[in-house]
Amino acid sequence: MGAAEDPARGRGMRELYPFLYEVSADPAPVWADATRSSEGKATEIVLLRRRMAELCGDRVAVCAERMAGAFAGGGRMFTFGNGGSSTDAQEVATAFLRPAHGRPLPALSLTTDVAVVTALSNDVGFDAVFARQLAALGRRGDVALGLSTSGGSANVARAFEEAARRGMLTVGLAGGHGGMLTELSEAGVLDHLFVVPSSSVHRIQETQTTVYHVLWEVIQHVLAGRPAAEHDCAAATPASSPP
Amino acid sequence: MSVASLEQVAREAFARRNTAGGALARDAELITRTARDMAVRFRRGGKLIVFGSGGAGTDAAHVAVEFMHPVIVGKPALPAMALSNDAATVSAVGTDDGIAEVFAHQVRHWADPGDIALGISRDGGCSAVRQGLAAARDLGLLTVALTGAHHADRADHADRAGPMTRADHVIAVASTDPAVVKEIHVTTYHLLWELVHVFLEQGGEALT
Repeated sequence: MGAAEDPARGRGMRELYPFLYEVSADPAPVWADATRSSEGKATEIVLLRRRMAELCGDRVAVCAERMAGAFAGGGRMFTFGNGGSSTDAQEVATAFLRPAHGRPLPALSLTTDVAVVTALSNDVGFDAVFARQLAALGRRGDVALGLSTSGGSANVARAFEEAARRGMLTVGLAGGHGGMLTELSEAGVLDHLFVVPSSSVHRIQETQTTVYHVLWEVIQHVLAGRPAAEHDCAAATPASSPP
Repeated sequence: MSVASLEQVAREAFARRNTAGGALARDAELITRTARDMAVRFRRGGKLIVFGSGGAGTDAAHVAVEFMHPVIVGKPALPAMALSNDAATVSAVGTDDGIAEVFAHQVRHWADPGDIALGISRDGGCSAVRQGLAAARDLGLLTVALTGAHHADRADHADRAGPMTRADHVIAVASTDPAVVKEIHVTTYHLLWELVHVFLEQGGEALT
């Protein structure tokens, strides 16, 4: 994600750190308040994860079972996002392709190839940067997994539309109210959507990491009892954790 | 396999995050101290050099974009670079000099003594991150390590960080599950970014 789709846009430092704006010549209160602020945020993210588990834990299990089915049928996964979310897309790809334990599964992050990303952005437009790659690489039975903290990334939405046209399983992770991705979900374009109920970009990203790790765990749990698909890199031992 | 049992797997996986997540609050003061020291370096013109291998390389990229492109409009961009992003250099150094050299080589050719090195290794055992931090320390950089629990049965903070303890600041997540460690690392570097800006805005005595 970037500032352009930041749900917290417009919230200044004054709101986040009111103590900064209290007049004080003594630095000690800054230290104490900064530490208290971190303690509060550490507590907030634990509660938000619990809330997310209550809200969508069962749907995560259903989605993971469908993703496992796609992999078992020879499907591959393509992941995408912008800014910090692009690093999550890369994390998901490497966690699936090269897990510390468990079965390696074919996954590719669509921001990996800078030549392709800049060529498409320069020649076609940034909104098409993931959709065009899916049009070339994706096929029926594959999985498209996209992340956007606000759900407002046009290139992520376009990618889901292309993936749906091609008969891919579509999985979205968003935050806030889910933006365009909520609309795509309601329109039946997006098969699975998990929206983190927070207005903080940071807390949304942190909760999304948990959601994709739980998806990975459940998928490995499902696949542990099945023979490897043709496209699997190898059938290895049952998993407990990604790298 | 019934869907009900998969729901149980998912619920248990979510719940496994609670303990390590709650323990982060105990590191709040350490995070404040680390952010203050980072702010001092930024104030003097230093830049942030971040590195990690595998999944931790994606965290390094996340940290760099966090500082270079602030999510809060109006915050200044601060200079940061992720050494794991350059696949050509990483694979060249890795092939010729060994994988343990990939970050140390770049640190030696990019770093100034006033910079900050942030190394990320979820189990503390990554030789490339350890050598990257060692090269940074030799050059006089502020060194910060993000790691996980070294041994689950050791409560001692220094032991948890294992071989990365020689960094100036070691923030060690209380978990040996690399997925959980990653999740807490994301919160940790988000807090570091926020507090660096708090200290830079405060300036003056807070940075002395």
